[in-house]
Amino acid sequence: MVETIQALTNGVPLISLLILSLPIGAALIWLVPGSERSRWVVLATALVDLVLATLILLGFDATQSGFQFVETTSWIPSLNIHYKVGVDGVSVLFLPLTVLLFLGVIISSWTSVRTLPRLYYTLLLLLESATLGIFVSLDTILFFLFWELTLIPLYFLISFWGTGANRRYAAVKYTLFMMAGGVPLLFGFVLLAFNHAEIAGATLPGGLVFDMEALLSQPLPAEMQTIIFLLLLAGFAFKTPIFPFHTWLPVVAMEGPIAIAALMTGLKLGAYGIIRFVVPMAPAAAQDFHWLLAGLGVIGILYGAVMAIAQTNLRRMLAYSSISHVGLVILGIASLNIQGIQGALFHLLNFTIVAGGLFILTGFLHHRTGSTDIISLGGVAQRMPLLTTFFFLFGLASMGVPGTNGFPAEFLVLVSALETHTGAGLAALFGVVLSAGYFLSIYRRTFLGPITSPVVDEAIDLRHRELLLVSAMGLLILTAGLYPNAVLDLTRVASEQWVAGVK
Amino acid sequence: MMITEIHWTAQSSYPILTTLQLLPLVIMMAILTMRENRLVPLIGIAGAVAELLLAINLWLNYDTHQGAMQFAERAELFGPLAYHATVDGVSVLFILLTALITLLMVIYGQVRQLLPHAWFLSLVFAVEAALMSMFVTVDLLWFVLISVVELGLVGILLARWSTSPESELAQTRYYQFMSTGILLLLVGIVILGWNHADATGGRWTFDLFELAQAPVSAGFQSVVFFLFFYGLAVRVPIFPLHGWLPLVAEHGTVAAAPVFLIGLKIGIYGMLRFILPLMPEAVMQWHEFIVTIAVVGIFYAALLAMLQVNLRRLLAFAVVSHTSVLVIGLFGLNQMAFEGAVMLSINFGLAITTLLFMQGFVYRRTHTLLMARLGGLFDSIPVIGITFLIAGLSIVGMPGTPGFDAAHLMLEGAIHRYGALITIAAALGNVVAAGFLLWAFQRAFLAPQDESQPVRKVDPTTSTELLISGVMILVLLGAGFYSEPWLDLIEKSLEGLSALYTTPHV
Repeated sequence: MVETIQALTNGVPLISLLILSLPIGAALIWLVPGSERSRWVVLATALVDLVLATLILLGFDATQSGFQFVETTSWIPSLNIHYKVGVDGVSVLFLPLTVLLFLGVIISSWTSVRTLPRLYYTLLLLLESATLGIFVSLDTILFFLFWELTLIPLYFLISFWGTGANRRYAAVKYTLFMMAGGVPLLFGFVLLAFNHAEIAGATLPGGLVFDMEALLSQPLPAEMQTIIFLLLLAGFAFKTPIFPFHTWLPVVAMEGPIAIAALMTGLKLGAYGIIRFVVPMAPAAAQDFHWLLAGLGVIGILYGAVMAIAQTNLRRMLAYSSISHVGLVILGIASLNIQGIQGALFHLLNFTIVAGGLFILTGFLHHRTGSTDIISLGGVAQRMPLLTTFFFLFGLASMGVPGTNGFPAEFLVLVSALETHTGAGLAALFGVVLSAGYFLSIYRRTFLGPITSPVVDEAIDLRHRELLLVSAMGLLILTAGLYPNAVLDLTRVASEQWVAGVK
Repeated sequence: MMITEIHWTAQSSYPILTTLQLLPLVIMMAILTMRENRLVPLIGIAGAVAELLLAINLWLNYDTHQGAMQFAERAELFGPLAYHATVDGVSVLFILLTALITLLMVIYGQVRQLLPHAWFLSLVFAVEAALMSMFVTVDLLWFVLISVVELGLVGILLARWSTSPESELAQTRYYQFMSTGILLLLVGIVILGWNHADATGGRWTFDLFELAQAPVSAGFQSVVFFLFFYGLAVRVPIFPLHGWLPLVAEHGTVAAAPVFLIGLKIGIYGMLRFILPLMPEAVMQWHEFIVTIAVVGIFYAALLAMLQVNLRRLLAFAVVSHTSVLVIGLFGLNQMAFEGAVMLSINFGLAITTLLFMQGFVYRRTHTLLMARLGGLFDSIPVIGITFLIAGLSIVGMPGTPGFDAAHLMLEGAIHRYGALITIAAALGNVVAAGFLLWAFQRAFLAPQDESQPVRKVDPTTSTELLISGVMILVLLGAGFYSEPWLDLIEKSLEGLSALYTTPHV
């Protein structure tokens, strides 16, 4: 299978196609007359990308370490910056899942976006392109370019199509938080490039090192790593989000469009950045500061869970629960062993489906009832049994119940944490219990009980296309839950390499 | 420091630098003689295009592998004053920018109906000729004399097409600040010439090449350094010498004069061309002091920018904030810092010009730029809004705009010289800048119009406005994603200067 695909696609720049097909699709939207028809262009573009991402996944040889499908072109030679993309076991699964999540967002926006639909879809496709770019960049400056390019579409998506009255405030708050995070991030990358050039004795600025493989092949002396570790961690903490840099998330979840909230909670780009850059670039510092990571993780788990219990709105609850879950990922990273990193990666991959799916379902509910406040809901199950069922299934996955994909991920993280940071592991266990508490409680108040609102009484259940989407997601949840090796095999070699780099 | 040059006959079939300076004057004369003729706007555009092509020709013929200055032309005039024009990569870049901005300004003048049109156009071309002259000359006296001419010309532009009842206030401040600066610059130059005459037995000259070889004693260097620095800093403008800018921005013309004043960073160019090669010891002695002022300036101006209620004043403070970043870059004093500072000057020039033009288009419709009275403009003029945003993001240094490469080069240079703290301050200044620009964009374009305001009808974007916006977006994004040719252009030219500051024996 792997050989066939590799032979078939030999010489085809699959990754560049994956990234570039989206802006092309975005341009086509404006050429097709009629905004109704332009939606089909968007759907077709997303499907093409799904095919491309699947091809990459199938053609990926999980037994080999290092990067595959690598493409390199010189970009700014006088600064030694390249356009270099490729995937390894850490990033390869994110591609199809990201595309799938965007597909879900497109389908959930199908009828709910009525104002300026072409602009909306254009921005969405550009955002998807930049997001995929983040996962495949193998040059730190290229990574940073994609990282910051996600901001512009998001700024407009939140300010124009937000559902709250304060959407513009939310857009500015989000953008400023992310830009503030960008400063230490860029700074860290530049320092890395500098120190590597100095060690190699190269002339500046032509000898600056932005190439990721070159950076990874030779770690810096331990004393230089601390500052790089802290800078990069600070940079990624904003987007992850790690407490206390999380305050944008509940605001954006409430004020922004729900479909965009699905992207923000589903794609934990910050945690991906920590796995990809922070620890491998500064392994000695990561060993010194493992307590910091574990501490931040535990604070996130407990703080998020406690806040989630207190919420009376489905969206805010989901936002805080996502803060709690990402804490678990950070804790998994902090253990610096194979179970920890595999669990953390698994958990991150789950997010795209579980957290993204919960928000998409919440969006369906909001589209029907006009609210996500618990007080104006109640008894949803009687009128929308399918939606309720799927919400419950996704909820089980987010609690980590055996049989769903949440279980192996949480289990791996907890096992590794109990081994390396026993106290933190116990606290995380408590957090898992809390997560059952807040989810079941809000589920009961929203979906069960008597119908109190006439809007709920008249609402219809899932439409066919919605059902198709959530069934596909549900299937993935169960498959990965019952057969976790499908995921673990793909990430194993890369994880082993990751752990070997730290030790 | 030794500076070398290549004579124009070795590289070109005609004296291209003289042509660059004379062509705008010829066009100006043509327009003045035709006056009310219907062909005048056409001649204006054709002339500006011709000048731009000439600049592009210069760029294409420029040999980027040479560190020496090129296309040199010399002629002895009376006394110590000489005509000596020559360019390096940095000047070529500024010449290209000048030609582009002039072309856009000619088109802008037609959109805004700045009448009488012939007068406006001839002034614009006169200013262009003066600017070209300043960018090609290496004779300090010539530079100062042309500065005086330019001061007067832009002053007329400022007074004649002002849109405010208090334009006199703007003019007074403008002349006070600028003439003080030029006077101090003149004193500094005379001291340098005197020193040279002293050293060579009474031969007076103001030629950069010769002055660079006659070292000034350290004590004198500091005096001359501050005279020069003050003179050029007023023009940049750098905190605390920026006092004229908010008034000129608020009470002067909306875009016409400010574009020439702040779109083209003559001050930064002058520092790079004259201060750095002539006074290395004084620069080494004082650079930390200058950078401290600049760091204060970033935050002072950024905070004031956030408090403004008028978009015109807001942009003025945005300028003061980012020129401080420029100064930090320039005084990083190594190759990357110089490259970053030049790129950043060009980027800021492009971006602020775009912002000013867009402001002009908005003003044309609303006749006010008080932010409380704007709002909801994005619905009717989305292209202008988008262009405004892209230019704003370019100032912030968003990747994909020319600001990014420039900013990170500059950061790299500054880390090398000053360590982390100053650099983080500069970068944080950028985030603050992002804050006020985004906020201004939201209030002017996205937020709904205040209900207490009279409902207005906003005309849709015209095709000429679309043209200007489109060109600006293309230039910004093009240079942002592919900055290599520009880096390549200036790289060799700056090596001599960076060697002066990074080799240990200086």
